[in-house]
Amino acid sequence: MNAIADRYATHDVGGIFLYTNEAHPGEYYPHLTSMEQKFRHARALRDILGVTRPILVDALDGACHRAYGSMPNMTWIFARSGIAVYKSDWTDHHSVANALDYLLDVVARRRAGERLAPFRVERLDYRERDLDAFYKGLERNGPKAVREFRAAVG
Amino acid sequence: MDDIELIARYNYDEFVPEKYRPWMNFDASPPLGSPAPDFPLWDLDGGQTRLSALWARYTYLVVEFGSFT
Repeated sequence: MNAIADRYATHDVGGIFLYTNEAHPGEYYPHLTSMEQKFRHARALRDILGVTRPILVDALDGACHRAYGSMPNMTWIFARSGIAVYKSDWTDHHSVANALDYLLDVVARRRAGERLAPFRVERLDYRERDLDAFYKGLERNGPKAVREFRAAVG
Repeated sequence: MDDIELIARYNYDEFVPEKYRPWMNFDASPPLGSPAPDFPLWDLDGGQTRLSALWARYTYLVVEFGSFT
């Protein structure tokens, strides 16, 4: 997703990472109890995971996250007007790039004089699923996170 | 649910279905094509902004929600 942000920056597309809550609390990154801790975890996204996009932090009660459906790694795209134009319950860079290509083409078509009306569409997209990499990520949170995920999901 | 209980339940302390599943409400999330809800957010230095201030800067703003895991 960092590469997507870089690729589309010249098209006046911004990209941020919004830190929410720990989906898999463990010994090293436990559940959040204060904003100070929340900022500390959010900085680790930049310093350890290498997130290069601007990182924003939600309120401790997850007000924004909860209003948008509370999924652990969802992506939304907003137009400048504040209209949500894309939402996915999981993040996949292919899906996001595909949506941006389409949406930027809409901008170009409107500039060319086409009269366009919005409509809603549903589509099933597909994300890469790499359980080995996911478990490696869980290990960063601590053995508790690994153990609980195995028990809940397998 | 008061604020303290909400904070404790939202920031659940273990990944067990009875604690994380109640929060997964994507089907009830705001519809596309309508004005999106706005909220205060903070940058890593503690400076406050709003989601609306961010989407107003660009033709499109991509927001990835997530955590350390």
